[in-house]
Formats: sequence, structure tokens, C-alpha cells
Amino acid sequence: MAGLVYRLDRVAYAYPQAPGPFSLELEALTIAEGEVLALVGPNGAGKTTLLMLLAFLLRPARGRLDFLGRDPWAETDGAAEARREAVLLTHHPYLFKGTIADNVAFGLKLRKFPEAETRARAAAALSLVELDGWGGRSVSGLSAGQAQRVALARALALRPRVLLLDEPTANLDAALGLRMEAVLREAGHDWGTTVVFSTHNFSQASRLADAIFYLSEGRRVEFSHENCFSGTTATDGRTSWIEPKPGVRIVFPGETRGHVTCVIDPSAIRLTSAGGGAAPPSGPNVFRGRVSRMETTDAATALVRVSGDLVFRATVPVGELEAGGISLSREVLLTFEPRSVKVVGERPAEVG
Amino acid sequence: MIARELALAVWVSLKTSGLAAVIASALAVPAALFLAGREFRGKKLILAVNQTWMAAPTVVIGLLFYSLLSRNGPLGGLGLLYTQAAMTVGQIFLILPLITGFSYTALRQVDRRARLTALTLGATGRQAGWIVLREARFPLLVAVLAGFARAVSEVGIAMMLGGNIRYATRNITTSIALETAKGEFRNGVVLGVLLLVLTLGINYLVQAGLRGRDGGA
Repeated sequence: MAGLVYRLDRVAYAYPQAPGPFSLELEALTIAEGEVLALVGPNGAGKTTLLMLLAFLLRPARGRLDFLGRDPWAETDGAAEARREAVLLTHHPYLFKGTIADNVAFGLKLRKFPEAETRARAAAALSLVELDGWGGRSVSGLSAGQAQRVALARALALRPRVLLLDEPTANLDAALGLRMEAVLREAGHDWGTTVVFSTHNFSQASRLADAIFYLSEGRRVEFSHENCFSGTTATDGRTSWIEPKPGVRIVFPGETRGHVTCVIDPSAIRLTSAGGGAAPPSGPNVFRGRVSRMETTDAATALVRVSGDLVFRATVPVGELEAGGISLSREVLLTFEPRSVKVVGERPAEVG
Repeated sequence: MIARELALAVWVSLKTSGLAAVIASALAVPAALFLAGREFRGKKLILAVNQTWMAAPTVVIGLLFYSLLSRNGPLGGLGLLYTQAAMTVGQIFLILPLITGFSYTALRQVDRRARLTALTLGATGRQAGWIVLREARFPLLVAVLAGFARAVSEVGIAMMLGGNIRYATRNITTSIALETAKGEFRNGVVLGVLLLVLTLGINYLVQAGLRGRDGGA
């Protein structure tokens, strides 16, 4: 079994002046050598914060973050040494003034690579991102997508042990994004590089990653953020609920108070056609919506997105789609049991 | 005015002001880097004092250092009054806030991602600081040259701390003052043109620096 690159134990981070105790709080996370891990979550979920922690640009406020079996923050210059092994490509990469070749060679020069090897690696990295022969050009005037590719080449040229990428294909068109995904897969395969990347795109995460780590409001959640809803609870003592939109309730059992995030397992959601004259099911957690997207994750299962008052993602056996009259743009009823709602991120309600 | 005297005056101007610009830059640029990269209590006060100090008249600075360096002053024992060293010290004090202010502005305009990017690619904190300076190299060059131009063209400090001693502390600006006082306007005008050529040369360097920045960005 491959060794561990990262081991996070009760790591938490708090931004100055941010509300609440911690912006990111994780019980545990391990990342193995050569693993490709996707961080999925909505804006503000903590993906970038986690990447910055993994890149040793932020120091945990609490807990322990081991890298290759050591805690770099406990050693003098340990964080700087770890940064040489774990390279982060930020969401909006910055290119230094000068030529593209200067930029791609930047990290190699810092590491005092011989001139000939620096040139060879820089050229190879530019070739990987399909910018062969662009080395002599100035970085001024590059489009966002081109700048993203130069920054990716700059990171790839280092052949780092760990490559951390914050939404690496965000500025690229779909075709180029797919080609860059192939580059990342190759890097992982050929060099044994551990890759951790953040994305909003569940499909990209499924395509690229060995494992997916879902985040919401700075906490780990078990499922995709599309089924995550936050709000302040109300309760009748027997059940509790939040209203992500006025009058739209997600109900769960027990008495819970405070601000919570409700997560609904996509496989716990049942879809039925809204047509056919049958009486709609009664009880809590019944929603009406329209199928806005369908994609198959494998031969047996389809991911169905239903857009109504709220947007849900459900996994449905492919065989049930036709039998249930579920197709794109059709109106459907969506139900799930209160007990299938997972409540996370529970915090005491603010007083006053 | 003989050629040797003229050449010496030019040399004294370039030497004292050049040295003042180098020393003041060595102090001002790190200070500006520190100020630009951190937020702390009292920073606004420091910037306000620096800005006020920029407007200090040269004769006031000359008077201050004269009182310090004169025989009865607290630093009189150093024997610096009426030397080129005294002129340089006074000019450092004159241009320090100017270079600090310009450098601070230049460094604040560097994209904050520059330092972060350098760190992500394996730079140490010190190397990342150098990268930020490199990204601002042309505006920083402008700051240093502006400081030099200010020092080379001032007359109050040179006169009060140098004493306008022939073949020793007489520079271009004190020569102009002397020639004008003697009624030798022609010499004064020639020296004035010389100073103008020097200043234009500095401006040319600044412009070349700016062109380089635009071209290389």
C-alpha cells in the first residue's frame, strides 16, 4: 500500500475577523501517495482554505497536519521545505513580469537546477499544455485561459511530489479543460504525483479523482453540495426543520436548535412522474420540480438533477428511468424520508 | 571660473548626491517593503509623518544638522561640518522620506498574488520579498532617481553643511549661488544649463525605465 502524504488530525483554521470559531474544521483526512483527490463544495465551503493549508501557506489554528510523516510547522523552515514538495496552482494564477519561459523556469531556478535541464523541463512542460514554442513571448496580453496554462506548465515543470490545484480548468473552454484533465492524469500516472484539486464540477471530480471529499461551510459532508441546505432550525419537539426558502421545509426527526446544514443522500431520494393523475404522496419532504440534467455515472446508475423550489441531485437505477417516466424536462415529484436527512455543522443559535 | 573648478563642482554634486541616493535607498526600500507588506497599529501615523517630512524645506534640514554638527553641537566632536560627508548626511535626511514614500506606493501596487505565487513555487520568505521587489523594479528605480534628482538640485543643505569651500565642498548649486552673488551671470547660466542637462539625463533614465516596464510586463 502506498505511504501517506498527508495526515490531518482535528485540523481547524480561523480567518481573522471571520464570524464563528473556525472557518474550516476537519476531524480527519488522509491522502495517500499517488492518490487523486477532488475537493467538491459550493463557494465558501472551505476548499481553497484546505488547499492553502495543504500547501503550507496557512498554519492550522488547531490540530496537527503531518506531511510525509512529519509536522512541518513544528520544524524551523519546515513549511518552506514542504512547499518545495507540494506546489499549489491558485484559482487566478499570477504570472511574473517577463517571458513565458521565465515564468515556467521560475521554480526550477529557485531549486538551482542546471541551465540545460531547466530549459528542457520548461520546454517539455509548455508542450504538455500545448504551448510549444511560446517560451519567448511576453506574458502581457495573454488571455485568462493561456495564463492558466502557463501557470499549470510552471507547476508541472517542477514535477512535484504533490500538485494542489484550485479549480484548474475554471478559465478553460470545455475541450481544453478535458485535455488538461488528461495532462493531470498523466502527471499522476507518470510521475506518481499526488494530485488534490478543487472543483464545482461533480462530473469532473468523478472523471479524474480516486476519491471525492465533500465540503460545506468548512465541514466535511458526505455527499455532493447540491443536496446541502443550510438554515436555522425550528422544532415542534418531535421533528425539526429548516426553510432554505420561505415556505419550503426540509424536515428531519428529533429536536434540534441552531444553525445547521442538512445533507440528503442522492440515493435516498425517490423520483416519480408528476403526471398520470395519481395522488401526490403526502407527508414531509415532498417537492415538485423538473428534470434539468441527466448523466450516467456507470452503466447501472444515472445522476438526475431536479430543479424546483430547491435543486436536488438523485441517483436512480437506469432501469427505473423509463419505467418511472423520468426524462429530461419532465415534471417529477421528489420525496425522501426525514430520517435520511443528515444534519451536520450544528452550532448553537445566536442569541439576540 | 576655471575648468578644473567646474569639473570638481560637478564631481562633488554627483558624489555626494549619488552616495546619498544609494544610502537612502538602502534604508528606504526595505522600510517600504516592511510597511507595504504588513498592517499594524501606528502604520498610518508613520506614513503621515513620512509625508510631512517630504515637504521639509532644505534650509530647515540644513539648519537642524548645522546645529548638530557645529563645534558646540552634540555631534560637533565628529568634525563633519563643512565636509562632503556632512552634505551627504543632510541629503540622505532630505530624500529618505521621498524614496520611502515612492517605494511604498510602488510596492503597494504590486499584485498581492506575486508573493503568494513565489511561496507556492518554493521560495522562502526572503526570496519572496526579493520577488516582490523585482516585480516593482521600474517604479522603484523611479523612486531612487527621483531621490537623486532632489538631492543634486538642492542648495540649502549643501550651502549650510558644506560651506561652499572651493575645491572641497563647492558643488553645482552652490557655485550657481556664488557666481550669481558675484554678478557673474554668464557663469551662473552655464552652470544652470549643466545642472539642467544632468536633471534631463536623470529624467531620460526614468523614462527609459518606464518604457522597459511597459514593454516587459
